[in-house]
Amino acid sequence: MSPTTQGILVLLATIAIFLTGAPVAFGLGFVGIAFLVLFQGPDSLRVAAETLYSGLHDFTLVSIPMFIMMGAAIGSSPAGRDLYIALDRWLYRVPGGLVVSNLGACALFSALTGSSPATCAAIGKMGIPEMRNRGYPDEVATGSICAGGTLGILIPPSITFILYGIATETSIGRLFLAGVFPGLLLTGLFMLWTILYLWRQGFRAYAADFRYSWKEKFLSIPKVAPFIIIVVGIMYVLYGGIATPSEAAGVGAAMCVLLAALIYRMWKPRAWWEILRSTTRESVMILMIIATAVLFSYMLTSLYITQTLAQAIADAQVNPWLLMGMINVFLLVCGCFIPPAGIILMTAPILLPIITAAGFDPVWFGVIVTINLEIGLITPPVGLNLFVVNAIAPDVPTKTVLWGSVPYVICMILAIVILSIFPEIATWLPDYLMGPAVGPGK
Amino acid sequence: MDIFIRAVRALSLASGVVAAGLIALAVVVVCQMVFIRYVLNETTIWQTDFVTFSLVAATFIGGPYVLMTKGHVNVDVLPIYAGPRARWWLALAAILISLAFALVMTILTAQFWHEAWENNWRSESMWRARMWIPYASMPVGLGLLALQYIADLIELVTGREPPFGITSQTPMPAVKEAGI
Repeated sequence: MSPTTQGILVLLATIAIFLTGAPVAFGLGFVGIAFLVLFQGPDSLRVAAETLYSGLHDFTLVSIPMFIMMGAAIGSSPAGRDLYIALDRWLYRVPGGLVVSNLGACALFSALTGSSPATCAAIGKMGIPEMRNRGYPDEVATGSICAGGTLGILIPPSITFILYGIATETSIGRLFLAGVFPGLLLTGLFMLWTILYLWRQGFRAYAADFRYSWKEKFLSIPKVAPFIIIVVGIMYVLYGGIATPSEAAGVGAAMCVLLAALIYRMWKPRAWWEILRSTTRESVMILMIIATAVLFSYMLTSLYITQTLAQAIADAQVNPWLLMGMINVFLLVCGCFIPPAGIILMTAPILLPIITAAGFDPVWFGVIVTINLEIGLITPPVGLNLFVVNAIAPDVPTKTVLWGSVPYVICMILAIVILSIFPEIATWLPDYLMGPAVGPGK
Repeated sequence: MDIFIRAVRALSLASGVVAAGLIALAVVVVCQMVFIRYVLNETTIWQTDFVTFSLVAATFIGGPYVLMTKGHVNVDVLPIYAGPRARWWLALAAILISLAFALVMTILTAQFWHEAWENNWRSESMWRARMWIPYASMPVGLGLLALQYIADLIELVTGREPPFGITSQTPMPAVKEAGI
């Protein structure tokens, strides 16, 4: 059987198995070993155990549970509320200020936690009722929180970038830096759209004589500043070449847990166990997918499926931008069904040779992939953020939330177009700070 | 039967506690390593290996606990929108597929562990760690995972637990995840 036919069979089997609702990790592992046995005989399984292990034997992966713990510590504390209050006090004079401060709070909080649903929950729980109380339209109140939550996987430190970096052997430091300006661009686009929309509706949030005092403004800073300092500190340590991502993440995690304990008096063993429990659940889930995805891609390469596909696309001489468009549509469709970690680990090793052969920058492509996955988080049927927002504001019809999110999806597509025209938005900062990239995938 | 299910659940909970402990230990060791390397300016020998091994072990040993608490992400479009009968069949297929993977890998990783034990494999780093120790986490974790899947299968077939834990009143998994 030709590698192409085998490839199609693998694709169909993977889709069928995922649709049963089997965990992504075990579904991938099952397809991996099943096709090895089917096409290469039971003997080919001799290396399966070693392959499974080798997928996890990498010190870089240590940064994943550490960043998750950092997020869990901040997420389980009331830091989200304080961040929200602080931004509102400073930004309330801006037209549509509350939405703008919500989006800003989302961007900051998601940078701290790296988790999209957690950001939606933390900022949304405060922000959505507050916006509705002050008369903001439901679609803006819910849509902006859905969209704001997605920023987390683009703004560093981002677990999605770590996974992409590992799967494609791209520098994680470079990817983190490449996410900074696109993250700001998206936040800016979201804010711009919201302000325009509200302005066209003639909406004013506060009475003209309303003022927060300077005391109120400054009192809101001390509680949120330490967390922001930690994130900035991590970035500094990473790019100063002072420590590796895993070391920076480990110290960051310990500091965030201690800060949460100090500032919010979370001394009870129960609170610590909660942080550890959610860290364990999320880390094990992601690391298990990494292990079995390595088994899955081992199967793909040993059956020559990856190589044949890359060669076929190279031979077809497709226009690179048409190819990029097709890949974007493919990722968008995947993103609507499969969680980001699964998509990155399954598709990045297959797509990377295609992308580099077509002359695209792998770091820039990492940013494009991530924005595609962000869209998947706020589109049905498995848009996590939609469910979270729905739970916070059950009386807002799902249709309103969905329509409220549509303009933000358009902003994201616009961001992909802008980044395609000006790739420097992503690549300038890493090139400037770390020197130009050398060789493909570096 | 109930005793079996309760025993498996207790084992899975214990595995979760062990995995959480390993992760916590890894954080402490990373901090210790950073201190030695950047404050005392000395070289470290065992820390990198130890942290990597701990997290590999935490992943495999934590697997059954995460399964018990329904934390392994899946594509839940069909299970959510399917009717109760179809959902039951989907759950059965999902459990059997995952159970098959867990069983096959338990055997393969046990053989791999045995090889490392017999030949006294050591890590290539300065620490020269005995590799059978981290390798042991694979058969142990995957074996417990298979047990938890057998318990899930019994619960599904005997009707103790609804398929995917979805009832008409259950909130969406994502919502539970976000802790609302």
